[in-house]
Amino acid sequence: MIPANFDYIAAKSLDEAISLLAKHKDDAKILAGGHSLLPAMKLRLMQPKVLIDLGRIRDLSYIKEEGGQIRIGAMTTHFQIEISDVLRRSCPLLPETAGHLGDMQVRNKGTVGGSLAHSDPAADWPAAILALDAEIIAASAKGDRVIKATDFFVEMLTTSLEPGEILREIRIPAAKGKAAQAYVKVRHPASGFAVVGVAVNLSINGGKCQSAAIGITGVSPKAYRASKVESALKGNALDAKTLSAACAHAADGVDVNSDLYASAEYRKQLATVYTRRAIETATARVK
Amino acid sequence: MEAHVAKNLPADMEPGLSATAFYEPKNFTFPFGTHIAVVDIDPETGEIHFQRYIAVDDCGKQINPMLVEGQIHGGIVQSMGQALFEEVVYDETGQLVTGTLMDYALPKAVMIPHLELDSTETPSPVNPLGAKGVGEAGTIGATPAIVAAVVDALAPYGVRHIDMPIKPEVVWQIIKSGPKKNSAGAA
Repeated sequence: MIPANFDYIAAKSLDEAISLLAKHKDDAKILAGGHSLLPAMKLRLMQPKVLIDLGRIRDLSYIKEEGGQIRIGAMTTHFQIEISDVLRRSCPLLPETAGHLGDMQVRNKGTVGGSLAHSDPAADWPAAILALDAEIIAASAKGDRVIKATDFFVEMLTTSLEPGEILREIRIPAAKGKAAQAYVKVRHPASGFAVVGVAVNLSINGGKCQSAAIGITGVSPKAYRASKVESALKGNALDAKTLSAACAHAADGVDVNSDLYASAEYRKQLATVYTRRAIETATARVK
Repeated sequence: MEAHVAKNLPADMEPGLSATAFYEPKNFTFPFGTHIAVVDIDPETGEIHFQRYIAVDDCGKQINPMLVEGQIHGGIVQSMGQALFEEVVYDETGQLVTGTLMDYALPKAVMIPHLELDSTETPSPVNPLGAKGVGEAGTIGATPAIVAAVVDALAPYGVRHIDMPIKPEVVWQIIKSGPKKNSAGAA
């Protein structure tokens, strides 16, 4: 439970953090709250030689509406998202997801950028970020790079961030009209991580589903968009028959995880049931 | 105090003052009670939710009722862990795979329903206080009450016994296998 030796550097600015990362390369890990990284270091699953802490960089923590988008700084804590009036009004899926995440201590110190960059297969944020068609802004010495959420999650604990890049900002396109959103989750009884977590973001007009975006976490080695469910919903009235036929595809085309709590077969069932319940919850909210 | 300070005592006297007395009750005490668990089972997922939990215990004369209630609460919650969550699992190579609290599930406050408690007070005749034990009353009553509630809910599926901890997946598999006309078929 004691980590291997490491050096700690508190970066004063994002530019300094980028140049420190360029200098230390693979020896370094970015510390962005530490609620995944530090436990991994204590178990010696990770042994970085240098930690570059973003925690002192105040201008990486913000939530603002700008250019038809919601922009969230990477160092914004889960709790700041949970209580944000801006988000509760314009993108309630994010505060709702934050409320399901970890416990009070984790939400107070852990950050959205840190969690996304860690890409835990049972983390909550990836589902919401996928369902919102978010963009991830990666900063490096070469400047900013925009990564679509659907391109961001590569494998378990692996993202498409390049060496030398630091996740700087998350951008959410503003909703067109009133979006029907919900995040539902089966919590692992011990860890609290998502056995299955489903985020839905729908637009409904005249009783019919105009667009559907569904992000699912916990089910496979990386979070994914349930695209077969989405296409089965689009253009249709969301009656019970449509829903149950669509949601049967919730785990199509992915390798389904299996563990002590839930076999692959059971997890697939949970994904099916909770996708339907997420859609029902979301649509009930806009009625 | 004076008896413990050697310098104040005559030279030939050892310090200290103590007395021991033994009381042998005429018999053991026998606390008793009734615990009732009312559960809902989600037919699509096998997840178990408490609708109500009611316990009436009798531990004789209560000197501090708040402590009695705390003991009952703690015992019931420990039972919920045993009945539904806590499991020591070794893999095929003998490695403990539920060795941390990230894997070994203890009940937490959010998993626990409101506990409706009451008590009767039948003084024990075998000691002057009329008191009886309460430490294990909660855990003795609650574990079988919870399991019996789940087994009762699954009776249409022929279930007469289910192993602890009762995990949702096991319940889901039972439900998926369909109702049994002959209730002798065990899970």
